[in-house]
Amino acid sequence: MILSLGHYLVLSTVIFSIGAAGFLARRNALIALMSIELMLNAVNLMLVAANRWQPLVQGEGGATTAPAPHGHVFVFFVIAVAAAEAAVGLAIVLSYYRLRKTVRTDAADMLRG
Amino acid sequence: MNPSSPQELIAFALFATLAVASAIATVAFRNPIRNAVSLFVHVLSLAGLYITLAAHFLMAVQLIVYVGAVVVLFVFVIMLLGPGAETARDDSGIVPRAVGAASVLLVGASIAMTLASLNPERPARAAEFGTLRHIGEYLFGPAMLPFEIASVLLTAAMVGAFSVAKANHHKVKMSTETNPLPAKADASDEAQGEHG
Repeated sequence: MILSLGHYLVLSTVIFSIGAAGFLARRNALIALMSIELMLNAVNLMLVAANRWQPLVQGEGGATTAPAPHGHVFVFFVIAVAAAEAAVGLAIVLSYYRLRKTVRTDAADMLRG
Repeated sequence: MNPSSPQELIAFALFATLAVASAIATVAFRNPIRNAVSLFVHVLSLAGLYITLAAHFLMAVQLIVYVGAVVVLFVFVIMLLGPGAETARDDSGIVPRAVGAASVLLVGASIAMTLASLNPERPARAAEFGTLRHIGEYLFGPAMLPFEIASVLLTAAMVGAFSVAKANHHKVKMSTETNPLPAKADASDEAQGEHG
């Protein structure tokens, strides 16, 4: 039995689908934010796995070096954006709760004309 | 070929099962604090999967940022909202919601089946791959500009979160019919609110 890239991609797709389904099905703003975190985590896993399967670089004199860590650096930035998103999202949820005394997303109709 | 060691296979199986189970628990529970704990387990299991992918630096970042900051922030907000964090079950839309969730999962499963056929050979792990030095050299070399922009983004997010979450009594007064608490706004604030 060999761990293949497919294993990680399938796992990542399954987690992403669970997150997307949760985002669409749940009416609780907090759980919608958690579903977004699940989806971001799934994409991170896919990027890291793809970077691991990147072939080694042939240097001069036959020496091989590690491939550039594009995926890792991308994941680093995704984590930074996810942290910012969580902070702003939770601040909006708090502010919304002060207005409406609920965190139900379908009660957010203040902009409806 | 570069076969996987039994330890690697066991770690992958364990963490993958844990990740999927905790992801389902994250979206399924009714009590938000249970969702947050499930998210905590999910993030931990992903950190474990990063080790099987030789991404040690990212494992540390995952633990510090997600476990140390994001999940704790969720728990703080849930505790701040108290019983208001829990929403009642809405019975009306259960069929469309179930159909929507099933179709998303179906699309995901079909994409996953296509991706499963991707099977390139795994290269040997170079000694420096995924280490702090390897990523640091890239981060402070070609990725310098995005790295600096990320710090600007985080500062903006911090200021934004602070200003959005700050108690704003004008806005509270707007919804007095749903607000049982008396709005604590002084006369000048009220005048501003009426003009605005």
